[in-house]
Amino acid sequence: MFLAWNEIKYSKVRYVLIMGVLFLIAYLVFFLTGLAYGLAQDNRTAIDSWEADGIILPEEANGNINMALLSDQAVDQVAATEKAVLGQMAAVVEREDSSADERLDVRFLGIKVDEFLMPEIIEGRAFETDQEVVVDVSLRDEGLLSLNDSVSLLSSEQTFEVVGFIDNAKLSVSPVMYTTIEAFQEIRFGEMEQERDELAISAIVVRATNGDIANVTIDNEQLELIAISDFISDLPGYNAQVLTFAFMISFLIVIAAIVIGIFIYVLTLQKVSTFGVMKAQGISSGYLARSVIVQTFVLSAIGIGLGFLGTAGTQLALPAAVPFQSNGLFLIVVSAVMLIIAVLGALFSVRTIVKIDPLKAIS
Amino acid sequence: MKAIEFINVERTFKDGDKEIVALQSTNFSIDRGQFVAIIGPSGSGKSTFLTIAGGLQAPSKGEVKIAGQAFSSQSEKKRSRTRFSEIGFILQASNLVPFLTIKQQLQLVNKVDKKKQREEMLELLNQLDIKDLQHKYPSEISGGQRQRAAIARALYNDPTIILADEPTASLDSEKAYQVVEILARETKKKNKATIMVTHDIRLVEYCDQVFEMKDGVLKEKSPDSLSSGQGS
Repeated sequence: MFLAWNEIKYSKVRYVLIMGVLFLIAYLVFFLTGLAYGLAQDNRTAIDSWEADGIILPEEANGNINMALLSDQAVDQVAATEKAVLGQMAAVVEREDSSADERLDVRFLGIKVDEFLMPEIIEGRAFETDQEVVVDVSLRDEGLLSLNDSVSLLSSEQTFEVVGFIDNAKLSVSPVMYTTIEAFQEIRFGEMEQERDELAISAIVVRATNGDIANVTIDNEQLELIAISDFISDLPGYNAQVLTFAFMISFLIVIAAIVIGIFIYVLTLQKVSTFGVMKAQGISSGYLARSVIVQTFVLSAIGIGLGFLGTAGTQLALPAAVPFQSNGLFLIVVSAVMLIIAVLGALFSVRTIVKIDPLKAIS
Repeated sequence: MKAIEFINVERTFKDGDKEIVALQSTNFSIDRGQFVAIIGPSGSGKSTFLTIAGGLQAPSKGEVKIAGQAFSSQSEKKRSRTRFSEIGFILQASNLVPFLTIKQQLQLVNKVDKKKQREEMLELLNQLDIKDLQHKYPSEISGGQRQRAAIARALYNDPTIILADEPTASLDSEKAYQVVEILARETKKKNKATIMVTHDIRLVEYCDQVFEMKDGVLKEKSPDSLSSGQGS
């Protein structure tokens, strides 16, 4: 620590530059992590907010809820702790009074008010009739909708009134509008046929005893029970996005380690004769190696810390439409991995130090 | 007990299939409080002698003892530790760490070994007349001052032996005299055994004993033969 810190103080410009590079890489890594996480969340927050364990789809839907259609009578063939029907459909809506041609891509979710899929309202009230919806709060934050606005479906004449906002309700990167399962029938099939004792739904969402879907039984071979986590990773595009970002971030972390490893190695080579003299004086390789590792650690920690502050600052200035979301756990893990790998990069230099022959350094 | 003792020490190198003898079988010893010089032309084996004394290379035959303890036969790690505690090096160019101030050079010794009690840092710098330079980096002071700082660094850990390899090589003669005078004075005062390798015959007047190295053979010279040798 003594050697490491005094050297940083002595060669300020050099080490500030290295810290600068580390800061930029850390900033980029944190920023990408935030974007990746935000985008991943936008695919799934609605599903996460259900706190469900499994979802039941017709087998021929192949895990894709957009392709799923079944009768609500199937609910009786399912035995689970809690069951809820769900109708899901992508739609385009327009604000009634909007002069601009502003169209919104949304997901309609039809549910029953008394079942567990009913979301928590953070502003306004729950829907009571088939002409009311509660919508994701991002639409309010982006200034697209406000309370008591009317929206109309582009595909039909139906209009709905926005009566409430809910948090964390996005599905496949679209904001969700929750409405009644009856309204879903109309959205899906147009004018509802009178006097049907059967409702069409997309899926049955279940909660299982002890969270184990093995405890759920289905008395219908046409239906397939999928764990919620599998359902999420099978969402169209979700896995591709997550993997793409994960690869970018991990390569960046490795590149950061290589960059700092090279910097420290070059600096070590410059100091070979100084290290040699110190070894001749009987200062052990271990002490010198520790010093280099501590130095790498200090430089990385400061660079990563600045990157963290930079990311936090940027987050405050970002528009709401950017899907940036930071997650404390991810940031800690990414920081720790960057630190560890940077220190591993410094091990190259340790080898060099151990190999320095003090005899050559002084003759 | 001798501070350092060479017992039949020999050093040979392989050059292809030829064997080159850098140091012929040598017996040599000095006591604490003695200041000896080793003179000789370059390539005569002076450096080999000094680096074996400092444990930076092992002898091919024979043994080196420091304060009666086996030294050259120790493991690399133990030799490094002995080097730190028993030997102070003063090298040709400065052996100071470029990014530490003069005071920090001494503090580093404390950091590496925290247990040993050492003399007052500033007092030592004061004795060598470099107390005012304690916050300067080596690059900010003169060559003579740097060598005095190097002496302070070597003395600070209270070693048994001081090995000085051409300590005056980069100094003009006035500064060279000053540095050797300080070295002689501190050797007596702090009771060290000091070996100085030099090619500058004029400096030996401060030494108790002078040896000459020639073709790997170390011979003691009487002060008379030196002065006559200088005259011829």
